[in-house]
Amino acid sequence: MSNRVVIGLLGPALDRGAGPDRWSQWRPTVSLCQHEELLISRIELIHDPRYSALVDVVAEDIRSVSPETQVRLNRMTFRDPWDFEEVYGKLHDFARKYEFDTEHEDYLIHVTTGTHVAQICLFLLTESRHLPGRLIQSSPPKRRSSGSPGNYAIIDLDLSRYDRIASRFDTEQREGTTFLKAGIETRNPAFNRMIDEIEHVAIHSSAPMLLTGPTGAGKSSLARRVFDLKKLRHGITGRFVEVNCATIRGDGAMSALFGHKRGAFTGAARDRAGLLREADAGLLFLDEVGELGIDEQAMLLRAVEEKRFFPVGGDREVESDFQLICGTNRDLGESVRSGAFRDDLLARINMWSFEMPGLAARREDIEPNIRYELLRLTDATGRRYQFNKEAFAKFLSFSMAADSRWCGNFRDLNAAIARMATMSPTGRFTTEVVDREIDRLRMSWRMLTTPTDGPDASAIEALIGERLDDIDEFDRVQLVHVVAVCRDSRSLSDAGRRLFGATRKRRKIANDADRLRKYLARFGLDWASVVRDVNS
Amino acid sequence: MIQIDGSFGEGGGQILRSSIALAMVTGSPVRIEKIRAGRSKPGLMRQHLTAVQAATKICNARVSGDAIGSTQVTFEPGQVAGGDYTFGIGTAGSTTLVLQTIMLPLLCADRPSRITLDGGTHNPFAPPFDFLERAYLPLVNRMGPSVRATLERPGFFPAGGGRIVIEIEPAPMLQGFELLERGELRRRHARAAIANLSPSIGDREIGVIARRLGWEPTELAIDVVSDSRGPGNIVTLTLEYEHVTEVFTGFGEVKRSAEAVATHAVQACQRYQKHTAPVGEYLTDQLMLPMALAGNGAFASTGLSRHSETHIELIRRFLNTRIRAERHTADSTLITFSSGVT
Repeated sequence: MSNRVVIGLLGPALDRGAGPDRWSQWRPTVSLCQHEELLISRIELIHDPRYSALVDVVAEDIRSVSPETQVRLNRMTFRDPWDFEEVYGKLHDFARKYEFDTEHEDYLIHVTTGTHVAQICLFLLTESRHLPGRLIQSSPPKRRSSGSPGNYAIIDLDLSRYDRIASRFDTEQREGTTFLKAGIETRNPAFNRMIDEIEHVAIHSSAPMLLTGPTGAGKSSLARRVFDLKKLRHGITGRFVEVNCATIRGDGAMSALFGHKRGAFTGAARDRAGLLREADAGLLFLDEVGELGIDEQAMLLRAVEEKRFFPVGGDREVESDFQLICGTNRDLGESVRSGAFRDDLLARINMWSFEMPGLAARREDIEPNIRYELLRLTDATGRRYQFNKEAFAKFLSFSMAADSRWCGNFRDLNAAIARMATMSPTGRFTTEVVDREIDRLRMSWRMLTTPTDGPDASAIEALIGERLDDIDEFDRVQLVHVVAVCRDSRSLSDAGRRLFGATRKRRKIANDADRLRKYLARFGLDWASVVRDVNS
Repeated sequence: MIQIDGSFGEGGGQILRSSIALAMVTGSPVRIEKIRAGRSKPGLMRQHLTAVQAATKICNARVSGDAIGSTQVTFEPGQVAGGDYTFGIGTAGSTTLVLQTIMLPLLCADRPSRITLDGGTHNPFAPPFDFLERAYLPLVNRMGPSVRATLERPGFFPAGGGRIVIEIEPAPMLQGFELLERGELRRRHARAAIANLSPSIGDREIGVIARRLGWEPTELAIDVVSDSRGPGNIVTLTLEYEHVTEVFTGFGEVKRSAEAVATHAVQACQRYQKHTAPVGEYLTDQLMLPMALAGNGAFASTGLSRHSETHIELIRRFLNTRIRAERHTADSTLITFSSGVT
């Protein structure tokens, strides 16, 4: 059970009371500790030092009526307790410095005392989760002087907000297509056409679907939304089971997918149902299906066709009636040709095949996706995140630019928003934050330009041919650069001078042409072949 | 595991407290269900939770359901250990009710105890301190142990802040007694205690007592309490007989006249005086558990309250002691305790 902790301000007016008469008055802070069913482990009483005499009386009275409660006094001076900026700033500082332990403590923010400005600030700080608790509002008893502690109400802003967002989403997602797009108003016509089709298939067919497209294009989240849509339209009753086949390669793959019987192999201490069984009556999403081993492919084919299969070590078939969506960023046709993927399985799973374009191919959807990500972030963290106008324009124009490659697609975009959120403690993204993020994105895309897939790599591939596979990536990078310098130089000596410039300064005798010749020879190259190739 | 339906009989906190006390003295685990089921706020309130926690502490019990609002508590007692304990009861809750929960096992504990209790000392619906000190504890002391109670500071509702200290010299076992006659009246006195209120209230209360009971001025006193945290008023009438002392109380409350407070105590005193039995209704109730634990003895009572009847039911679930209640004289009941083996 977590301990109740009340955070509140001393009310110089409402909590006032001297002499024994105070016990017949309703004093919100003391009264809160007098409810027989409300056990408060600690109260954090924020007070102005001007009222230190009053706070002593209140603290002493709380100890008297509530020995279970630890009273902690927090001094806070307000020059003007009606000044919004000052009060908000100081309470905000308090919230930031306070070491909340939400795992063990349940915070109640008492908003009955203090100036109206202070009450509004406490509300705002609670709503934005700076104060990670619920509000508690106390009210006097019907008969003022009865000595009764009155009433209180605990208000969970999180719940009310949840309701509001849920109802808003309800209206937005009434249409299946909007639903599949997670309510994002995508503008790319090709993408929207595809979503229309997927919606139709999702509602009218239980046949397998294949989602292809680059990593980060959103295959996994689309699969989940197809599941949600089917569930909403009562097309499915079971669970959504997602597995990335790249992560279950090797020995464990079979039993992870198809389960095993106890004692099937060393370490199989008990029966395991396996993911296919878990997806019974539900939907199985096999991402990176091209990574599946050839044995598993055979089992999967049978499971898809017959809806039954053998668990590892089992001599009785088990049944599982699941719907299947596969995802891949590979060309499965190519995998079939190379023998890595079964053609009969491919034929079975690509009954409905959809190609998800990368983000760079649907730039007009970047803006609605940014807005969606901000909303989602606000929802997840309870804080409002926004660009300032200038920063938004800047980030958008960068996003739309042709040389912004978005190699990781939506994964890049989401990460960018998340990073900017981290860098923006106020919740507002400034141009400085955007500038730094643009640098980060450019850097990450540059890093992904590996020699093997850049244009330069193709240059050395032409030079070296099949032997390229024997050369470490470590050496390839260097070789690509050396070749480029050679081709940009007039002679072997000229290239040598440029490449070994630092050594040259230290030594009296220049041997850089010789060094370069020997270096090229290691790869079976010479000056003539390197330069000739460029001219051909 | 003994199962107790917390809603039977009196149906309130008493069943919880007494069940736990009996669990500790017998060493039997107990589960109490439907705690305070019929009350407007069912389940454990803060003062009940404190009682459960105090019991848990003195015998190192394993407990579950010890939370505000919980209607089911499982209590598995361990070894009761005497010692120095302090417990605080919130909402000016009764210190004597928490004491009721933990005192019985400490009477026969391995070593002496000193219990400090903070909270209310004079609460309506609970034995006030004066009753504890003068009526109840002398009879407990007659059973073997030596218990001494000190009022360090009075605590009235709603301010609380009172403190009582109980020192217990345990006895190896409790020995029942026989109490059939009051003996001769040796002393009587009335006290109107006033804390942070006008002393005229005390004057009016003493006036009522003098008029209605005809007691002498030397037997009447107004006690202005200076060390109470909040306001409070209480009228206490004490009758000291040769074999028993009884205490009758009137509690001051908001919107209740001084005359009404005094009259309440006076009427209780007069009812007792009309009887001949030594043990009044409240004292009967308090004596049930220790006498049952002793397993022998008898006393004559002015009558069994609903609380006492509930106690008899409850005791039957934990102990072998046979309790017989039979007509003694025209207006008194003889309650006999005997070991159930015969």
